[in-house]
Amino acid sequence: MYKYSEKDKQIVKNRTKEFSLQVKRRIDGYLTEEEFKPLRLMNGLYLQLHAYMLRVAIPYGELSHQQLHKLAEISEKYDKNYGHFTTRQNIQFNWPKLEDVPKILEELANVEMHAIQTSGNCIRNISCDHFAGINKQEVEDPRPWCEIIRKWSTFHPEFSFLPRKFKIAVIASENDRAAMKVHDIGLRLIKKEGETGFEVYVGGGQGRSPFIAKKIKGFLKKKHLLNYLEAILSVYNELGRRDNIYKARIKILINELGEKKLKDLVDERFKKFFEKKLTLGVTELEEIKKSFQLPFDKNIRSEVPKIKNKDFKIWRDQNVLNHKYDGHSIVMVSLKQYGKPPGDASALQMKSLSEIAKKYSYGEIRVTHEQNLVLPHVLNSNLYSVWTDLKKIKLATANIGLITDTICCPGMDYCALATARSIPISQKISQHFKNQLLQKKIGKIKIKISGCINACGHHHVGNIGILGLDKNGEESYQISLGGSADEKTNIGQIVGPSFTEDKLISAIETIIKTYEDNRLNLEDDFISVFNRVGIDKFKQDLYEKNNS
Amino acid sequence: MAKKLKGELFYLSANDLKTGEVVYYSNKSWSKNLKEARVIRREEIEEFERIAELNEKKCKIISPIFVELSDDGKIKKLRDIIRYKGITF
Amino acid sequence: MKKIILNKAKVSKNEYFFIDNDSEIKKSSKIIFFIKFWIENKKTLKKKKHIGVILDSNQSIDLIKDDIELFSLIQFNFITFKDGRPFTEIKKLRKYWKFNGEIRASGHILPDQYVFLNRCGVDSFEIEEGKEKFWIDFFKMDEGLYYQP
Repeated sequence: MYKYSEKDKQIVKNRTKEFSLQVKRRIDGYLTEEEFKPLRLMNGLYLQLHAYMLRVAIPYGELSHQQLHKLAEISEKYDKNYGHFTTRQNIQFNWPKLEDVPKILEELANVEMHAIQTSGNCIRNISCDHFAGINKQEVEDPRPWCEIIRKWSTFHPEFSFLPRKFKIAVIASENDRAAMKVHDIGLRLIKKEGETGFEVYVGGGQGRSPFIAKKIKGFLKKKHLLNYLEAILSVYNELGRRDNIYKARIKILINELGEKKLKDLVDERFKKFFEKKLTLGVTELEEIKKSFQLPFDKNIRSEVPKIKNKDFKIWRDQNVLNHKYDGHSIVMVSLKQYGKPPGDASALQMKSLSEIAKKYSYGEIRVTHEQNLVLPHVLNSNLYSVWTDLKKIKLATANIGLITDTICCPGMDYCALATARSIPISQKISQHFKNQLLQKKIGKIKIKISGCINACGHHHVGNIGILGLDKNGEESYQISLGGSADEKTNIGQIVGPSFTEDKLISAIETIIKTYEDNRLNLEDDFISVFNRVGIDKFKQDLYEKNNS
Repeated sequence: MAKKLKGELFYLSANDLKTGEVVYYSNKSWSKNLKEARVIRREEIEEFERIAELNEKKCKIISPIFVELSDDGKIKKLRDIIRYKGITF
Repeated sequence: MKKIILNKAKVSKNEYFFIDNDSEIKKSSKIIFFIKFWIENKKTLKKKKHIGVILDSNQSIDLIKDDIELFSLIQFNFITFKDGRPFTEIKKLRKYWKFNGEIRASGHILPDQYVFLNRCGVDSFEIEEGKEKFWIDFFKMDEGLYYQP
C-alpha cells in the first residue's frame, strides 16, 4: 500500500490547518455561506437535510486496517456509529458538526487520510479497479498511475475552479470494474506492440443527461500521461459552459463541439503547453511502484480447508474469487446485509473487519464502486476462519453480484437534492428476494437505485435502473432496463410510466418473470436476455399485467 | 425563498450553522423543538424572509426554507417530514 | 470601498489610473482601462508607455492576443471567484505568449485563492483595504509544497 512521504504528510497537515481557519472565518462572519460553500465542498463537507455530511477520500479505494479502525473511531466520536461507503469508493459520515470537522481532519491526517477534493468543482478522488494488482487479466497494476494522478490533481493551481466536478477512473484490463466509461476521463492501460500505454476516453457521465465516454486517443505513451491530462483539463476549464450547471460537465462540451474538434483542441494544447517537468521519468515511476508491491511471496501455495458446511460453500461460491496468485483468494465483503442500507457499515463492523484484515489480509481492505468491501489477499487455508469471523459481524451475506446486491444512493432520507427515498426501496428488494436459492437462480443482475435525476445511485447503468421522482408530492419510481457499467457500458432505456412505491416490487417481479421465461439456460443472464429479447417484450408484460 | 410556495401557513426552518442541526424559528430565536415553532401566515412571509436573511448574516443559521403546512397545521411535504422526524427506516 | 494593491506581503497604492474617457488619457503616466475602451481607442493609447488592460473573467484573452506586448499590466477581474477561466488564461499568457509584464487579479477573489493565483502567474492583487491580513496569512502559510512543477 502507498505510504505518505514527508511531503504528503506536510501537505495534508497544512490543509487541515487551513480548513480550521476557514471554519473559524465562517463562524466569525468573515466568509459568507456563498464564499464558504465551495471551500468546504473542496474539503468534502456538504450540508444535507438533517446535518452536515463529511466525505472522506479513500484514494483508489484502498484502505489499511489502521485507517479502517480510525474511520470506526471517528464514527463513534463525532457521528452516529456508522459510515456509508459510496459509489466512488469513498466513505461518508452523515452527522458531523461543523465545529468538529477540523478535529476530525486532524485525526484522519494521523492515519494518512483526508477529505481533500471529495466534492466541489475540481478533480475528485481517482477511482480504480478494486482488483488492481490481484487479477490475472490486467496489463499492469493501475494503482501507481492513480497515485501519480492523485498527486498531480491535488491542489492543482489551474484546475481548482472548474466549471463542474471532474472524475477520473483508471483500469488496466478488458474487464471494467470501475465504471470507467461513465467518468469524465476514463483511462485504460493497454499493450500495443510490446509497449504499455493508455487508451483515453472522455466525456462519460450520468446525471440528467447520461453519456458514454468517447475514445479520443487510442494509444498514449505512459510518460505523456500528465501532459495529456493537463491538455484536456485546460480545454475544459476554458471552454466548458459556466452559464448552466446542468450543461457544465465535459460530456456536454464534447457533444457541443463534436468529438473531432475536442480531440484537435486537446492535441493542439498538448503540443503548445507541453511541460517537460510533467514527463514521467523511469526512476520516478519505479519509486512509486515500490509502494504497491505484493505483501507476500507469490510462490506460496495453500489449500482451502475441506470443511463440509453448506453455508460456507454457498458463501465461497458467491463471495470468493480467484486471486492472481493461486495460494490466495479474493474475499468480497458484502455491505448488502438483508434489510440494511446498502454500503453502510457500523463502527463495530469496521473495527472487527479491521482486525480480520490485519490477521488475514496483510492489513489491506479495498472499497468497490458497488458499495462493497474486499479483503484482497486471503490465504486459502484461512478462508474458513475468515468466513466464521465475518459471519459474527454479519458481513458474510452471500449475495455478491446477485439481485440483492444493489447500488443505492442515500436518497431523500439524507440528501438535500433527492426527490424520493431510495434506501427503503433497496431494503424492500433485498427482503423480497433474499431467499438464497431464489436469488442464485435469478443469477447475475444489477439493480441500481437513485433518489433523483443526479444519478448517484447509477440507475442509468443498472440492468434494472430505478429512479425516484416526485409526482405532485408523491414518490414515484421510473424503471429503466438494459443499462450496464462494465466493459459493455450501456445506458438503460426507460420502460414506461413510473410506479408508486407499493406497486414497484410487483413490477420488478414481472420483469424478472419475463427474463426467466425467455432464458435459454442458467448461464443466460439478465442482460443477455434483455439484449436478445428487447425492451418491447418487457414493456408488454409489465404494463399488460399491471392493467389487467 | 418564497417562490412557488403553496398554502397559507408555514414554519420557517433552517440548519444551525455550527452544528448543522434542523431548527425552527420560534419567537425571536431558533429551536430544535418543532412544538416551539412559530406558525407564519402567507402575508407575513416577506417579514420572515428578512428575519431569515438577517440570521444568516449573523452566522446563526444556513439554508433557510419555509415549510408548507396544511390548514390544520400539519407538515405537508415528505421532505419536510423527514427533516423533522429523521430517517424513515 | 477603498482598494489597495498587494504584492506578496507588501501593500501599496494603485499606480495605474483608471480611465473610461479619452479626455483622461493624459491624466497619469500609467493608465488602465477596460478592454472595450482599448478596442475603441487603440491608436491613441498605443502611444503611452505604461498601459494596463482589464479583462473580465468571462472575456477571452484572445481579444488582445495581437497586442500583448503593448501592455505593461494585464488585469483579470473576477466576476465571481468561482469562475476559474482566468487560471487557464494566465497560463496561456505566461507560457504560450511569453508575457513578461505584470499580471493582476481583481474583483471577487478570496484570500484562499492566493496560492493558486500566484502559482499560475499572478503578481499582484487588488483587494479591499483592511482585508490584507487574511491575504498575508495565506501568503505566509505557503511553504512551497506542491505536487505540480
